Amino acid sequence: MATDANLSVENDRRWVLVVDLDRCTGCQACVVACHAENNIPVVGEKQAAYGRWMHWIIIQRYWEGEYPNVKARFMPVMCQQCTEAPCEPVCPVFATYHNAEGLNAQIYNRCIGTRFCGSACPYKVRTYNWFRPEFPEPLTEQLNPDVTVRTRGIMEKCTFCIQRIRRAEIDSQAEGRILADGEIQPACVQTCPTSALVFGDLGDPDSRASQLARSHRSFRLLPELGTDPGVIYLKGGETNV
Amino acid sequence: MTLMALFHESADTAEVIDELHNLGIADNKIVVITGLPYPEGALGRHREWLTLPYIVLAGAAAGLGIGLFLAVITPHLYRLDVGGHPPVGFPPAAVIIFIFTMMATIVSTFLGVLWEMNFPRFGPAPYHKLVTDGHLAVILDIPTRLEGQVRQMLETHHAHHVGEPERMTL
Amino acid sequence: MSEPEDMEQEIRQTTPYDERLLLAQRTDSEINQAVLQPMLQTGKGFWVLVTGLSLIVAWGVYAWSYLIYWGIGVTGKNRPVYWTLFITTFVFWVGISHAGTMISAVLRLLKADWRRPITRGAEAMTAFALMMAGLYPLIHLGRVWKFYWMVPYPNNRLMWPNFQSPLMWDMVAIFTYLIGSSLYLYLALIPDMAMARDHTGSWRFKLYRVLALGWRGTEGEWHKLHRALGIFSVAIIPIFLSVHSIVSWDFAVTIQPRWHSTIFAPYFVIGAVYSGLSALASILVVVRRGMRLQEFLRAEHFDSLGKLVMVAGMAWVYFWFAGFIVEWYGNEPVVRELIREEVSGHLAPFFYLQMSANLIPIALLVFKRVRTTPALLLATTLLVNVGMFTERALIVIGSLQRNDLPFNWGNYRPTWVEISIVAMTFAGFALLYTLFSRIIPFVPVWEIKEGRLRYTMRRIGRLLVPTAAEID
Repeated sequence: MATDANLSVENDRRWVLVVDLDRCTGCQACVVACHAENNIPVVGEKQAAYGRWMHWIIIQRYWEGEYPNVKARFMPVMCQQCTEAPCEPVCPVFATYHNAEGLNAQIYNRCIGTRFCGSACPYKVRTYNWFRPEFPEPLTEQLNPDVTVRTRGIMEKCTFCIQRIRRAEIDSQAEGRILADGEIQPACVQTCPTSALVFGDLGDPDSRASQLARSHRSFRLLPELGTDPGVIYLKGGETNV
Repeated sequence: MTLMALFHESADTAEVIDELHNLGIADNKIVVITGLPYPEGALGRHREWLTLPYIVLAGAAAGLGIGLFLAVITPHLYRLDVGGHPPVGFPPAAVIIFIFTMMATIVSTFLGVLWEMNFPRFGPAPYHKLVTDGHLAVILDIPTRLEGQVRQMLETHHAHHVGEPERMTL
Repeated sequence: MSEPEDMEQEIRQTTPYDERLLLAQRTDSEINQAVLQPMLQTGKGFWVLVTGLSLIVAWGVYAWSYLIYWGIGVTGKNRPVYWTLFITTFVFWVGISHAGTMISAVLRLLKADWRRPITRGAEAMTAFALMMAGLYPLIHLGRVWKFYWMVPYPNNRLMWPNFQSPLMWDMVAIFTYLIGSSLYLYLALIPDMAMARDHTGSWRFKLYRVLALGWRGTEGEWHKLHRALGIFSVAIIPIFLSVHSIVSWDFAVTIQPRWHSTIFAPYFVIGAVYSGLSALASILVVVRRGMRLQEFLRAEHFDSLGKLVMVAGMAWVYFWFAGFIVEWYGNEPVVRELIREEVSGHLAPFFYLQMSANLIPIALLVFKRVRTTPALLLATTLLVNVGMFTERALIVIGSLQRNDLPFNWGNYRPTWVEISIVAMTFAGFALLYTLFSRIIPFVPVWEIKEGRLRYTMRRIGRLLVPTAAEID
């Protein structure tokens, strides 16, 4: 097959997500969009209270101060797609591996559910199907056919909506054009009302994501661990971290 | 002809074996059966040369090979990169190679010793149950002309149950 | 009166060598019967025990099928506490398995004679503990029906497992150790199978006949057996050291705070020796009573075993402290919080249980009275295992409850499924051991007879002492 500049596996793509904490309002639209796009089940109040929620992106919130001077500090956290991912070497069956475009890929069909990756992840962004997920009618009509529906015993996490990445690449290849910056939007990026989330290619110095990543406000989560994450945060205003 | 004699004491057995050597009966015609292991040389017979150590070494080498293949070659057969580490790293490879070497060593020791003892062997063989009750049995393959001499010598050394060995199915 | 009669009189009047010499005065045939008789007589107590244990095992199997059908969610696991009682008990069983090799391999190489009556019981304990341990990597899998993907064989998926993962090392190492200890147990058993074959009838005769493989006891056979056991003893020691190191690396290779400690490998190994030897002492006290083996398992054996447990305990304290001091001094935030949780937070009751249950026995075992009184030794060694199980639980569960981002902190409560399955393996182990004690001669008769060859009475000054000959 001839080299095709559109296919990520054949060039120097590195997908990153930039989260502008100054713009994030904590509205959780991204959480809902992610559920809808990726066939993530809702586990119910009791299970969620016990720490078994399934959100691939979650607004981590901390309360500071005493009433009446209480402040909420929050930031959206999803799989950081680490280059030096601690979760990848520990999977005994290669259900998670690092692909050529810098994504930490999760293969649902291969996972046998040892949960080693969940323990190894320092951000604890991996979620597990504790029971067989239920999609009561008519929610089954809403399931996304591009994404596997997982059964019990399988680990899952944010994939940067790799199904959207692939669809955009295949469409652009079929149409014989180059992918434009900003053409690929994961569900959370598409939904965010304040455009706090920006998705792009760090390998392309002119992309919006690259430019934002060079901002003086940029930081990464837990940098001292050396995981080299692919999610770049921009420091926010007063209400944010 | 074959004779079997039982003894109570190891000293008697050793003397008998010496006498048998004097009569010209070779070691490979004498079989001593005991219910417990006597120290080497206690009964006057030479030590057997074993192929077991070589079997074990061969097994260990095979294990090393299997470990090398699994740890070093299989990551390249279906290449999947994991973050932060090369496909073949020294510490994981060392662990796998070590374990497979030890596994093969153990298994080859066991199978080697069984092979060398020609086990399992369930057919009839000369044996006497009193051996496990602390008696020593000596089974002789002697030329018929020496039978009288040998019987007398056995009796002098307090042998009992002298006679044709019973071929028991083991 | 002639010399031998004189000595016999004196022997009868002397303690503490009475017991050993009583054994010396037994004929081989009496020893055979003393070992075989308890196997052949099964009283009501035996059947009650077997039934009870089988019921617990059956209930555990039901709980496991419930787990497979409904999913891991029926346990108390959650995010972030992804590994809990199953992995804890897994590490515990692997730990228990280390005593067998300590006793049979290490003591055989050191030519310590007191190991002779104990080796088979110890090796059986190792084999059964590993069987129970080997269940847990299956039990804790989310999709256990796909477990065979971890087995390295050429397949139509063209995929090999990831040998960089400590779970793969676990699988390979535990399988190796299980094979190794079972083969070791069996190899040393063959002469006794021949002895049992010669003295039993009906179904037992058929079984022992097959297991004895046609053993007669020729010099060649003994020589080869000795050689093989020698090679086994040497080969199994690196395996036993590596197995628990590998299990410890399940935790130590992650960057989870309090897991990422370089001392884990020797710490776990020494903890395993400590808990395994204690479990062995507990089992021996019980079996000695239940099978009337007082003649074979004597005060001197428990004395030596108790000293070994004490030394292992002291070594465990050293390694625990070496790990703790650097964590405490380093003062990293999450580690600091975890230590605070252990020392004065929600985990404090477990922490103090662990420390007292591990330290008090060391102090108790200093006293010979404790080491040589069966009931006291049983209580002390059971306490050790309570402490060691708690220690494993604190490492696995306690550390996972805290991590780098406080939003991700969590708690854990066990459910009936986990407790049933843990109970299943304890009952399964006891059941296997009980059945084993009735089918296989518990005491290695040929080794004891071999040991008897060495001892004679000798007069040194006013004392009449048994002396051991320097034979191999």
